[in-house]
Amino acid sequence: MGRIFITCEDANILSTRHQYDDLNPKERFRYKVHHSHCPQCKTIDKRNKLFTSKLNCLGWKYLTVGQKSLIKAAVRKALSR
Amino acid sequence: MPEVKLEPTKWVDRYGDYLYNFTISRINDGELAQDLVSETFLAGLKSAVNFQGNSTERTWLISILKRKIIDQYRKANSRKGKAEVRMSYLDSDQNGDWLEEQARDLRNPTVEDQIEQTELGNALNACIAKLPERYATIFVQKTIEKLDTEFICKEHNITPSNLWVIIHRARVQLMDCLRTEWYEED
Repeated sequence: MGRIFITCEDANILSTRHQYDDLNPKERFRYKVHHSHCPQCKTIDKRNKLFTSKLNCLGWKYLTVGQKSLIKAAVRKALSR
Repeated sequence: MPEVKLEPTKWVDRYGDYLYNFTISRINDGELAQDLVSETFLAGLKSAVNFQGNSTERTWLISILKRKIIDQYRKANSRKGKAEVRMSYLDSDQNGDWLEEQARDLRNPTVEDQIEQTELGNALNACIAKLPERYATIFVQKTIEKLDTEFICKEHNITPSNLWVIIHRARVQLMDCLRTEWYEED
């Protein structure tokens, strides 16, 4: 995959992956090159970033490992009956 | 034969965090939310024989959880009805005015932020519920539970490329859904 120029479809997937810090340097370069000449994908990318920032503001709450263990134990106990 | 097979041993890992988030955005009490999630799974086990397989596991568990949350609201309301007394945190000999307390709360921008976040959280949950089951599960696992790509791929027997396509499509659908469910209500 030595190509520099990528399709809009690929660029949008890279944009999504970028929200999860999943791009390697080559992919990040391709993603930036594409956005430098494609205003449509740049707009989609902005929308993607806004969505990520909204998601990050939500402050998700997670069950702790201990809480999960307690619930799992309760489920296991009920299953064994 | 049900179209969807229940896998109770995987419920906590698959849906635990999502159900917990769903609950805590409606009931602001972590301990109670944990209890309700636990009760939901147990109720699910009890009524598993009645599961028709017409809906997905997640949708079915959420419907059970919603009933639990409504029951909780009812309980709380009946308690409130008996004695609704709101006390000031200031002692009578301290200089404090109840109106000032109220005004201070209202001026605090974080209160508005919290309301907005709660509303957005609820709208997002509603939109996630509209996603295809597989999209919803994978989106939640990657975005909310922040599980490793490798782990999710193994669990769903998909390649990383497939995973990112699914997440991308899920995000696009969620953004569109939120635009109608949430942004346009502003």
